[in-house]
Amino acid sequence: MDPTFVVLIYSVGAASVSGLGAVPLMVRARLPLSWIGWSNALAAGLMLGAAYALMVMGLERVTGAEMLGALIGIGFVYWTHAVSGTADLDLNRLEETSPVYGYKVLLSDTLHASAEGVAIGVAMTVSLPFGAFMALAIAVHNIPEATVLAAILTSRGVRLRDAAGLAVAANVSQVLLAIVSFALITAAPALLPWGLGFAVGSLVYLVMVELLPECYRQAGHTSIALVTIVAMGILVLLVGGGM
Amino acid sequence: MNQVFVVFLYGLATALATGLGAVPFAFARRVSPSAIAYANAVASGLMLGASFGLVAEGTDYGSWQTVLGALSGVAFIRLTQVLLRRHDLEFGKVRGGGARQMLLMLIVMTVHSFAEGVAVGVSFGGGMTLAFVIVVAIAVHNIPEGLAISAVLRPRGMSVAACAGWSIMSSLPQPIMAVPAFLLVDAFTRVLPYGIGFAAGAMVFLVLEELLPEAFDRARRPHVALVVSLTLVGMMVFQRFL
Repeated sequence: MDPTFVVLIYSVGAASVSGLGAVPLMVRARLPLSWIGWSNALAAGLMLGAAYALMVMGLERVTGAEMLGALIGIGFVYWTHAVSGTADLDLNRLEETSPVYGYKVLLSDTLHASAEGVAIGVAMTVSLPFGAFMALAIAVHNIPEATVLAAILTSRGVRLRDAAGLAVAANVSQVLLAIVSFALITAAPALLPWGLGFAVGSLVYLVMVELLPECYRQAGHTSIALVTIVAMGILVLLVGGGM
Repeated sequence: MNQVFVVFLYGLATALATGLGAVPFAFARRVSPSAIAYANAVASGLMLGASFGLVAEGTDYGSWQTVLGALSGVAFIRLTQVLLRRHDLEFGKVRGGGARQMLLMLIVMTVHSFAEGVAVGVSFGGGMTLAFVIVVAIAVHNIPEGLAISAVLRPRGMSVAACAGWSIMSSLPQPIMAVPAFLLVDAFTRVLPYGIGFAAGAMVFLVLEELLPEAFDRARRPHVALVVSLTLVGMMVFQRFL
């Protein structure tokens, strides 16, 4: 099978899984705030674990390019947030009803998904098993993230079905960026360390700017720290198991 | 010279290097309240980067052991935290929450030095040929740890000299643990992944439970996030080139 097609299948899978994020809202129409906090923490832990995995992959091929790639990754997300006016955006305001806020949340989730797309694409160029692992990690991470987005959308009057659809749609950029970065690095393998660095930098920055600050106000510090660490630990076990 | 004594001396030298981490704070004229946010962010980045490095090393010896060690590290720090909260603490003229954070930081970093000491001893166990290189690497690697400790102690009112002193204190378990680990390499190689995991779990928990939430409370999110991620990347590069 054409490798680009494999990347397409995996990244489409990861993106569509986010529809499952609406499931908790079928059980309870209004989620308790602490559940949203734990969803964010789970997403944060998986994302940090993914960054760790990408870092470990880069260990043997350490170059200045990787460090510069990481700086570009951090700078890129910082800059896109600043330009799109989403730098200080609180992504979890259930009571906010202005249409501008809704668009900003969707925009910033799309930007977030793009960085994850690069992570999947880069991991796929390292090896197919590592790429599949990364797609799985991002897919599972997409679920709690979509739960948060769906909770915001439904509290603003969007139907649950549509909220699930929008959560998947916000991740379309993930598929696009996965394929583009895979194709680019396959064509020019010298770009791999840059890509690895970019993915690590952007994932870490996104965790710090979007996921963690929110959840500390939604649930206790201790439970947030525990959920995040356990999620990271699971990925460490998976990476350590012979990737 | 006796090899055991050499290992101890080398370990001591690496502990002293930790004190150098306080030096940058001698140049900061005044400590503003928002400085705590950025100092927390710097310490968080350094400790997360150090933990990533430790875990990567620990999983070479055994993934399950590392993760189990990490969970016990988390439990240990949580317990210490609960115990410390029960008392009205005073530490270096600081009272209450600030004193608790300073003590926790020192406990975490001291515990982490035990694991590092074992790592040093075990790596010496492979032979003395690379000893000097390893010592220089560890000594340099300890400087950011002193930096992280000082970043927590200094903005809460500790003097620069005291920051340096406490940094060195926190690293003293390194030479103490290096010697038995060097003598009993085989036994210690088996416990090494647990110890490394324990240290990493303790550090990550402290970062996520105490340092980051406070940083986000006191400064704008993009700025905190920027400082944490830049320091983390810096720490990863730093560890890898050494």
